[in-house]
Amino acid sequence: MTDRTHRALTRRRFIGSTLGSAAALAALPSWAQGRRLNVLSHAVHERVLGTGEGDLMAAWKAANGVELVFTTFDSNPLQDRLFREASLPATDFAVGYIIDNRPTSEIAKLFEPLGPLNAAAPIEDFADIAPGLIQGMTVDGNLIGIPVRHATQGLFYNEALLEEAGIAGPPATLEELVEQARKLTFTSAAGTPVTGMVLASDLAVFPVMFARAFGGDFITGDFRLVPDRAAMEKGLAVLRGMFEAGALPRSYATTRNDDMVTWMQQGRAAFTVLPFARNAQLNNPEQSAYPGRIKAIPFPGSASLPAGTPMASVVEAWAMVIPRNAADKELAWSFIREVASKRVTLGMAINGNGPVRVSSYADPALTERNPLAAVEASVLATARGAFPPFPEAARAQATMLEEVQLAVLGRKSVPDAVTAIIDRVGPMMP
Amino acid sequence: MRTRRPIELLPLVAPVHILIIGVIVLPALHVAWLSLSQSSFGQAPSYVGLENYLRVLADPAFRRALWNTVAIVVVAVHAELLLGLMLALLFASGLPFRRLLLVCTLAPYAVSEVIAVVSWRYLFDPDAGPVTQLLAALGLPVLDWSFEPLHAMILVALLTIWLHLPFTFIILYAARLSIPVDLYEAARIDGARPLQAFRRVTLPLLGPAIVVALLFRYIFAFRIFSEVWLLTGGGPARTTEVVAVYLYREGFSFNAFGTAAATAWIMVLASLVLAAGYVALLRRQVNAHAH
Repeated sequence: MTDRTHRALTRRRFIGSTLGSAAALAALPSWAQGRRLNVLSHAVHERVLGTGEGDLMAAWKAANGVELVFTTFDSNPLQDRLFREASLPATDFAVGYIIDNRPTSEIAKLFEPLGPLNAAAPIEDFADIAPGLIQGMTVDGNLIGIPVRHATQGLFYNEALLEEAGIAGPPATLEELVEQARKLTFTSAAGTPVTGMVLASDLAVFPVMFARAFGGDFITGDFRLVPDRAAMEKGLAVLRGMFEAGALPRSYATTRNDDMVTWMQQGRAAFTVLPFARNAQLNNPEQSAYPGRIKAIPFPGSASLPAGTPMASVVEAWAMVIPRNAADKELAWSFIREVASKRVTLGMAINGNGPVRVSSYADPALTERNPLAAVEASVLATARGAFPPFPEAARAQATMLEEVQLAVLGRKSVPDAVTAIIDRVGPMMP
Repeated sequence: MRTRRPIELLPLVAPVHILIIGVIVLPALHVAWLSLSQSSFGQAPSYVGLENYLRVLADPAFRRALWNTVAIVVVAVHAELLLGLMLALLFASGLPFRRLLLVCTLAPYAVSEVIAVVSWRYLFDPDAGPVTQLLAALGLPVLDWSFEPLHAMILVALLTIWLHLPFTFIILYAARLSIPVDLYEAARIDGARPLQAFRRVTLPLLGPAIVVALLFRYIFAFRIFSEVWLLTGGGPARTTEVVAVYLYREGFSFNAFGTAAATAWIMVLASLVLAAGYVALLRRQVNAHAH
């Protein structure tokens, strides 16, 4: 009886144990050894830095006695978390990765201006970093992010399926692409039903690419909405025609980015539009039914464009930022300088990262390993973002995509959809 | 023994009150305050009165989302009730392999919603889904859910029913087992046929359990999110969007915290209005038992 009383959970013991546990947990950080740098990024940003013997940051970590801790999310949740962290009185994250179409004037205020830091401790050969990408990270005259990765869109095609359909080579114009996509909507010798082209319906990239193929755009860098209405209508009409012909999947409205990769790897689609950096994944023998047979070229413009007019592909860039409320900004800048160095930029490029330095594309170490390096560099030269950052950009994109879906699925005429885009997005413009 | 005054008992229940205030009341008040202001990242909140509410209510996308939510909730919750009742009566009437069948019936409730949706998306894939192919092979119509909004809504409703049927079933089954056998014997002696026994004995005594099951499911079902978000993302062209998805877009895609907060409060009020009849019924039952 006495023993039972001793073992019983009394209120005093419960409170005592709780307080003791809390105190023990509070003491946890003191057990950690050395310094720690918390980074908020996408998984791909961590992956391209390498691991084990291939860890590109190993020397920096050893020299500074720093443990790098990445917390990774998918793109949109990552941006949301980054902005939330930067809005707090203080954050444990010293470095975050931001997409180039996010930093509005309001958002930019959440991050440390990097100009003074770069003046005090400059990044190696700063002028080598693509000026357009630097420009995208300069808001209200302040450099707030150092570009680290770009994803430039190219046209991927399945060479084996083209050969099977008796097509000699990839298309040189948009009109040829449409024709080939229709021809490639068939059942392959392997018995797989093939759709000419697969595109996700939840990203502005694709309708914007088709509009640009005719010289149009959604929103220009100087905030002109649908500057060339006829070009936008032509672009959407092409998508509508492809859907009608079955050259886009019937599940177009629910197709996502990952589906595009899977469909290409399985030989269920002959063409798609993806960043050049996806080349390795699409041709990975462990995942792809067509390793080495999925190739990429620049997305072709329309034959109706005046000769010599370059096709402006869509590029999305990532940059490293330091939240204003971060504690150890000096260490954060040291990390950024190292990641932006020539050595690490090249190493990341070899690991599949879109390099932000012009010199990386000229390096044999990259060109020997990446067959698309030269093509990617040429496309990057004229590429630009899908739309510039402004407070209602996300809502504008969603509104545009809603109207595009209605047009492609045939629930609204193309001219009506374009009118709706102009009418509905207009009030959102800055 | 001295009877303690309520004020003396207050410290004993205070932890619970602190928890409720900290986890529910204060966040709810914060959301209410947010709903009356305009704010986003890097922007200080500014008071705008009821503008956010008016903006949300005037948005055709919200009205469509509200209609979709009400349609799914009404259909799914009542279908769950009907199926749950039938299953409860079937189990109560005696079934071979009862334990095994019980596990099978309750299994969907143990499946994570995300996994369930991903599995269903694979099974009903319009091009390569095994169920789609089977239906097509049998010459039956397939669910063209990635193209037809109505088909997508049907698939969402079916998935919701499959996921949440065990909840309704277990409440009704437990209530059915608690009805004394004597009552059925008395009914049988009085010459009641099975249907009459169901109407005069089973249904009235299951009444409180039915109301509780309906009430909980109405409130939970109104928050439907993952089924729609992971299956259709609200598409094509936002035609299958529900209120929770609309809220998510406002809050996490568009970073419009004011309209997102207003949507949250409208959601709470709408679910209460929808369930008001059952709440009144429950109150009547509680009052009846109190006297």
